[in-house]
Amino acid sequence: MAVEIGGIGQSVKRKEDARFIRGRGNYVDDVKLPGMLYLDIARSPYAHARIKSIDTSKALAIPGVLAVITGKDLVPLKLEWMPTLMSDRQMVLPTDTVLYQAQEVAAVVATERYIAADGVAAIEVDYEPLPVVVDPIKALQPGATLVREDREQKDNHIWHWEVGDKAGTDKAFKDAEVVVKQDIYIPRIHVSSIETCGMVASFDKINGKLTVWMTTQAPHAIRTVIALVAGHLGLSEERIRVISPDIGGGFGGKVPVYPGYVLAIGASVLTGHPVKWIEDRSENIQADSFARDYHITAELAAKKDGTMQALRVKTVADHGAFDAAANPSKYPAGLFHIITGSYPFAKSFVEVDGAYTNKPPGGIAYRCSFRVTEAAFTIERLVDVLALEIKKDPAELRMQNFIPPTAFPYTSSLGWEYDSGDYGRALKLAMDKIGYAELRKEQAAKRAKGELMGIGISSFTEIVGAGPSKHFDILGIKMFDSCEIRVHPTGKAMVRLGVKSQGQGHETTFAQIVAEELGLPVGDIAVEEGDTDTAPYGLGTYASRSTPVAGGATAIAARKIREKAKLIAAHLLEASPDDIEWKDYKFQVKGVPAKSKTMQEVAFAAYTNHPQGMEAGLEAVDYYDPPNLTFPFGSYICVVDIDRGTGEVKVRRFVAVDDCGTIINPMIVEGQIHGGLTMGLAPALYEQINYDDDGNIQGGNFMDYLLPTAMETPNWETAKTTTPSPHHPIGAKGVGESATVGAPAAIANAVVDALAHLGVRHIDIPITPWKVQKILKEKGVAE
Amino acid sequence: MRFEGTLDIAAPRDRVWSFLTDPTQVTTCAPDVQSLDVSDPHHFKVVVRAGVGPIKGTFSMNVQFLELERPKHAAVLARGQAPGSAVQMVSNMDLSEFDDTHTVMEWSSEVTVSGMIQQVGARLMQGAADKITQQLFACIKTKLEASVPI
Amino acid sequence: MAVETAPATTTGTRRMKVHVTVNGQAHEVEVETRTLLVHFLRENLGMTGTHIGCDTTNCGACTVLLNGRPVKSCTVFAVQADGMSVATVEGLEKDGKLDPVQEGFHEEHGLQCGFCTPGMMITAAALLAANPDPSELQIRQAISGNLCRCTGYVNIVKSIQYAARKTRETAGGKAPDGG
Repeated sequence: MAVEIGGIGQSVKRKEDARFIRGRGNYVDDVKLPGMLYLDIARSPYAHARIKSIDTSKALAIPGVLAVITGKDLVPLKLEWMPTLMSDRQMVLPTDTVLYQAQEVAAVVATERYIAADGVAAIEVDYEPLPVVVDPIKALQPGATLVREDREQKDNHIWHWEVGDKAGTDKAFKDAEVVVKQDIYIPRIHVSSIETCGMVASFDKINGKLTVWMTTQAPHAIRTVIALVAGHLGLSEERIRVISPDIGGGFGGKVPVYPGYVLAIGASVLTGHPVKWIEDRSENIQADSFARDYHITAELAAKKDGTMQALRVKTVADHGAFDAAANPSKYPAGLFHIITGSYPFAKSFVEVDGAYTNKPPGGIAYRCSFRVTEAAFTIERLVDVLALEIKKDPAELRMQNFIPPTAFPYTSSLGWEYDSGDYGRALKLAMDKIGYAELRKEQAAKRAKGELMGIGISSFTEIVGAGPSKHFDILGIKMFDSCEIRVHPTGKAMVRLGVKSQGQGHETTFAQIVAEELGLPVGDIAVEEGDTDTAPYGLGTYASRSTPVAGGATAIAARKIREKAKLIAAHLLEASPDDIEWKDYKFQVKGVPAKSKTMQEVAFAAYTNHPQGMEAGLEAVDYYDPPNLTFPFGSYICVVDIDRGTGEVKVRRFVAVDDCGTIINPMIVEGQIHGGLTMGLAPALYEQINYDDDGNIQGGNFMDYLLPTAMETPNWETAKTTTPSPHHPIGAKGVGESATVGAPAAIANAVVDALAHLGVRHIDIPITPWKVQKILKEKGVAE
Repeated sequence: MRFEGTLDIAAPRDRVWSFLTDPTQVTTCAPDVQSLDVSDPHHFKVVVRAGVGPIKGTFSMNVQFLELERPKHAAVLARGQAPGSAVQMVSNMDLSEFDDTHTVMEWSSEVTVSGMIQQVGARLMQGAADKITQQLFACIKTKLEASVPI
Repeated sequence: MAVETAPATTTGTRRMKVHVTVNGQAHEVEVETRTLLVHFLRENLGMTGTHIGCDTTNCGACTVLLNGRPVKSCTVFAVQADGMSVATVEGLEKDGKLDPVQEGFHEEHGLQCGFCTPGMMITAAALLAANPDPSELQIRQAISGNLCRCTGYVNIVKSIQYAARKTRETAGGKAPDGG
């Protein structure tokens, strides 16, 4: 029966595919409205400069250019600054100083896309270059170039954040038999979803209604932000409609509000016409929120036998010119304190300092919830450093230290309550699947011949599903999520959610949850998201929160419907509700299977023959406030071969064992893991956004910023264990980001393992052929 | 980026000096000049079209003589912009008399390029700069060494 | 602020009439000479199935067939396609029947957000037209100019293998025309 209705656990083929494979998706750039104008943005070539003047006359002289907007034009509207999600503020357009290269300087509105670009090229800005600071560690030193003159505080320090027992941790380190310490830089990278960001803003002057089609992962939160930022201009929340149509990948990059959005809305209000703004790729990489950029010093204290005791981590976080990260308010460094990972450290202490630099703002996710990759990479790298130090096999060292399955729910020394886990089982399965013992033998034989082969392990613990309202909010809005279900008289259902798919397949998986709970075939359940006029309020899709939070809301809303349906079924079956049970996706009189009613029959009755005294209809809504976060985990093993001539690292095999609790759709989960692994491979070996001393971005387009192609990406091998979340209504934990979190350390560990016998202990990612070749030459083993 | 070099010119030093410090004369050797606007003896604005690799654009340059020690030393600051890019160039020139009819020019330029040209064209910049420099100096030599001033 | 743009004062706004057959249908449209083929398809013809993912010819989201050969339509001017035939994703389904490539992408979960999918499928169709029985390496090489951020390519390779199998089975080994 489960197979027929397409309930939980079935690899139901995706409903959304029908339009995408026909080229009938509806992305923001596909929206075309009558009289629509185009907006393009002039950007700063300098990383730090005073704007002496902006000459817009040549741009305005171009036929078809209708308006040029500069920072000064926004001052009377009080729109030159906007709040960030992290209690900082960000320039929409500068009035006198630009703070990073590619920062928005002026916007041109024109009748055609190309004319808008012509207008941008014709704007003349006279800049006076200022000294530039791109290194956050230098930025925090006394006398450093001041990035933010607008702040009262006249240095580049944003905030200090710490968690844990400092005195106890320091003592544990003092008393420790073994201490290892490693500096780790996790470079600035960019999500680079294949669709860039954009908006069509349409302001209806007569009705005062603003409708925007927008590349956003969080349409409801955006609506509230627009109301807060532009409320003084008459934009009122009930007359703001945010539509997030099909989204071509998000990964965290489509959570923030970018100046381009504000400018498009402003231009539509100003002109009374719909206005479209679509970024180029180079604008997207150069100016939209980056991810990571953490300078970490991590120390681990252990006994000689490898028993881990304490962890101490100090980090400088480069936030660029504005702190525009998208973390829950309470956590400026995100959930970085999941850094104790899969190990029961008795004592730990973590501190992070945020710094301003002349670089674009951000600190958002890169397919990983709130700084979790930084944490997982650091601990899994550090465990391997310890293994080298005490000459112990890294698998054995992990097995020896894992939090045991009997210890759950487990409270970490940094305060998280892990819901469930069985770390040893996942690592054992990964080792069996890849043939770990044989690989070690092969490696020894190859080493004897001078060949370089490495095996790397990562046994990560994720933290997703933000989050319980007692700890989690963004701009004060609690991080619940929602689902509304309407069952129509003919037994078909409409499901609306506060989250928003960007490719995760929500139209299929959420229908499966409802199918499972209500016994309706998955094909009869339509899922709709991303329109704030119709969907219930929710915080959106990021940080792997859709299944843990909106999935919970969906199951509970469906159960509310089932409760009511049970009363109707009792009425139809002329039985007491106490005698009715839900069995085989039907209501039946206990012990009398012949006396039963399907959900379709009940739905019809809900509108045609409902019991007197009961409200008609069959609908429910749930705003789900999760009692805790969920903690997916996994063990990954990677095998690499290194070319001694070119220094190129080739991933020969990669086995990923994931445990995300109950799986709704195995096909989709596997697809999520494949994609996540590839976005773990990318920063491990290829992607980095770097800056020269003048603040010029290096890697600001797809010629220099190397996304993995089908040629670099290996054939991922996946397997699973299932440890349901005890607190989630269907036991699911979320999976979208686990692989991105877990994979980089496995790959880096494999490369270091291949070179460990030469004395290599750590290489910062991305591990490019150039870096490896340099090491091979230094060690005298290059070919 | 720093560029420097030495150029022998078969012309007297005074004549070389006059040519190189006169905006109207020296810009006749710049590539594809669109317009020249001399505001005073120390300032002028010149618009040229130039390309670095795939990017071609109009460079609008404000030029200022920072130092003028006739007839031996000059320093020039040129700052300007092209679409999505900015250029700043500080150049120094020292002229010495080899003999009455030959002048030796030692020159250096410190060039800072920001923006799209730097990002996309960085690896092509050296070649583009070499090409422009060669054209410029060949033109200067030709004009100054001609028996009749061109 | 794309590299291709230049002020109207220098480029001018010269216009030209182009004759292009798209998915079998003839179009005659006057365009600015600098109009890119991808903008011509999307804006002039309203065929938004072909997407734009970068401005440096790297991502392949805009791949279409020009006289049967895959090209990145962001790097072709519409006027260069004058007198030629263009095949886009909208033309893959014929007489209400999905192309084996489309079927393969659905069956093997070869797409997630769907943004790279049209270009990816067009490249796949061109590959199968030239080589009905490609090896995994040949498939990976063929799609190496098409970037996907969601799937990790494993299922895209499987989708194309599915389409190759299906095409061979249904056509008795005869290759499709590829669009």
